[in-house]
Amino acid sequence: MLKIIAGFISGIVVVALLAYSYMGSLMFWEVESAFGVEETVARIQQNVQNVGNGWTLSGLRNPGKAVESSGGNVLPVMMVEACSTKYSGPILKDDSVRFLSILMPCKISVYKKNDGKTYIGMMNAGLMGKMFGPMVGDIMAKVAEDQKKFIVFDPSQPAPPMIKPAPPGVGGSAGAGAGGGC
Amino acid sequence: MAALVVAFNASALQVKPDIAAAQAAYNGKEANVSTADHSKFKELQKNFRTGPEVTQACLICHTEAARQVQHTKHWTWQSADPKTGQMRGKKNIINNYCTSVVSNEKDCMACHAGYGWKDQSFDFSVEKNVDCLVCHDTTGTYRKLPGYAGHPVYKRVEFPRGSGKFVEAVDLKKVAQNIGKPSRTNCGACHFFGGGANGAKHGDLDSSLQHPGKYLDVHMNEQGLNFSCTTCHATSSHQVSGSRYNVAAAVTGAASIRGKVDASPASCQSCHGNKPHPESMDRLNQHTEKIACQTCHIPEYARNDIGTELSWDWSKATTMDENGKRIVRKDSAGRRAFDSQKGEWKWESHVIPEYRWFNGDSVYKVIGDKIDPMQTVQLNVVGGSPDDPDSRIWPTKVHRGRQPYDTVNLTLTVQHTGGEDGTALWHNYDWQKAIGTGMKAAGIPYSGKFDFVDTELTWPITHMVAPKEDALTCVQCHSKNGRLKGVPGIYMPSRDGNQWLDMIGWTAALLTLLGVLAHGGIRILTSKKEG
Repeated sequence: MLKIIAGFISGIVVVALLAYSYMGSLMFWEVESAFGVEETVARIQQNVQNVGNGWTLSGLRNPGKAVESSGGNVLPVMMVEACSTKYSGPILKDDSVRFLSILMPCKISVYKKNDGKTYIGMMNAGLMGKMFGPMVGDIMAKVAEDQKKFIVFDPSQPAPPMIKPAPPGVGGSAGAGAGGGC
Repeated sequence: MAALVVAFNASALQVKPDIAAAQAAYNGKEANVSTADHSKFKELQKNFRTGPEVTQACLICHTEAARQVQHTKHWTWQSADPKTGQMRGKKNIINNYCTSVVSNEKDCMACHAGYGWKDQSFDFSVEKNVDCLVCHDTTGTYRKLPGYAGHPVYKRVEFPRGSGKFVEAVDLKKVAQNIGKPSRTNCGACHFFGGGANGAKHGDLDSSLQHPGKYLDVHMNEQGLNFSCTTCHATSSHQVSGSRYNVAAAVTGAASIRGKVDASPASCQSCHGNKPHPESMDRLNQHTEKIACQTCHIPEYARNDIGTELSWDWSKATTMDENGKRIVRKDSAGRRAFDSQKGEWKWESHVIPEYRWFNGDSVYKVIGDKIDPMQTVQLNVVGGSPDDPDSRIWPTKVHRGRQPYDTVNLTLTVQHTGGEDGTALWHNYDWQKAIGTGMKAAGIPYSGKFDFVDTELTWPITHMVAPKEDALTCVQCHSKNGRLKGVPGIYMPSRDGNQWLDMIGWTAALLTLLGVLAHGGIRILTSKKEG
């Protein structure tokens, strides 16, 4: 009997440790981009505008600017913010899950690392949505599908211009995006 | 007084930051106050018609100035290699930006400190053709445009042609009466825009250095030390110290006192010495024996939105749209990306340097040198090795190009690009005519057959020094995939390992574990038997 209980507890501990180790990489993921930071941002912006489902650009943040203004040296980081009221509306109307507004707008981070390469970081909306019931899970699954389309690039097409906030974002501020969004 | 100021400057960096701040305040308030008001000089109270007329007026008082300038690279556009005697300089080399000045003088000489160099017949001995104003104008209104052989515009012109934008005629009298020491604006007018666009050529020099913050350049920071270019590039008899042709790659010894004999005041060591870190960080001081200061203190170059050009593909030039019209396209950040006249470019900001051993020597490809088109042509072969005591690991920018060469004579070609004549590439999009004219002007044979070859041009990075807090950290180099991953000939803990030593260590650890398990097992077994 003691062996069974010990085995059960050991199993729980192992699963907990595995979950703890892999939680980060499950909730967020990172892929390498074949383009530079600006061009990756611009191609994502273009995809957001073309993917349909009510997606609009709601901002472009540069968190590195805030660090830079105080004399810091960080490699480029840019965050494309996009929103679809088609998806955000039902969540914002439901008091029980309204706190999920903290995840809005949808953010896609584009950054350079010390290896000189450009990476894209995104939240795993599909997995995260499953934790908050069927309505949110269903919406977030659709968001996840669209997110995948945001980062499909056609290298044969020339680089589109990056859509910059107006007025220019300073100190990490978002500025107005092209569509306003959420 | 000047010697006092620079000596003051040198000591301030090492000893007392408050003195450095005081010096910065001095720079801002009084350094530009001259003992002469040039507007009061009768010689300068004329309505000058041309630049050479102004120079003649300058030379009335500054009798030796023109002769001094005529001995500088700013005038000759050439530089002799002290070891081989090879003549380099813009006049002789071929690069992978605009390629060559030969046959394009009328355009390129917008950045020559002279007037009238429009072809090979230019007389380098005429003193009145020295351009004083381009380096000494303080009004910011003196502007030299491509196409005028080094002259400013004397009448209002549309520039670029067909753009609807106009450049006003220069007021030579006003400029001549308002001259001063060269500022960032004067130097930057050419050096920030090398390669035909802001930041294109160097990567560590662009117009952001006009008003830089501490983050971008700790020395030129307007709110801090506020150095001008000439603070480091100290000048004597118009000879400007520092050169990319003869780089001071491994200067040793304590900090220098300006005014005394000093081979290279334009080095970090000349102010900071070769043991710049506190004694408590002596390990870092030992690094200076193998690593250039710039390697750690310029973590990335082109640290702004301007960026720098990383490649220029001339083979794409003359590609037109379906209607035969010129194509002009920008990249996502608004920088030039494609032009039917010139080809295709790639740009990047915040660029991680490529690191290599460098001893300051570079052997350049000059016009007429043979190449091997089966390999990427190194337009400058950078010297240096781990065994060379004069070598250090340096950060570099490598500019990749694809440019035309003569497939029979195996030489890089000179092409006539700028101008409105019938053979200029940017006018008629005909490579054969452009190369034919360029090669004839250069005086080297052309077979009539050309193709394109990959080339590389290496630039040491030395500007845009970051604050010390932003220097590279240990782990950025001391790791398997760190910054110095590919640099050979040096043992770096955490990057390198000895296979045998590692095997011995792991074997010892394994045997220890086995010994402990065996010992414990025997103890358990024997205790059970006894019990």
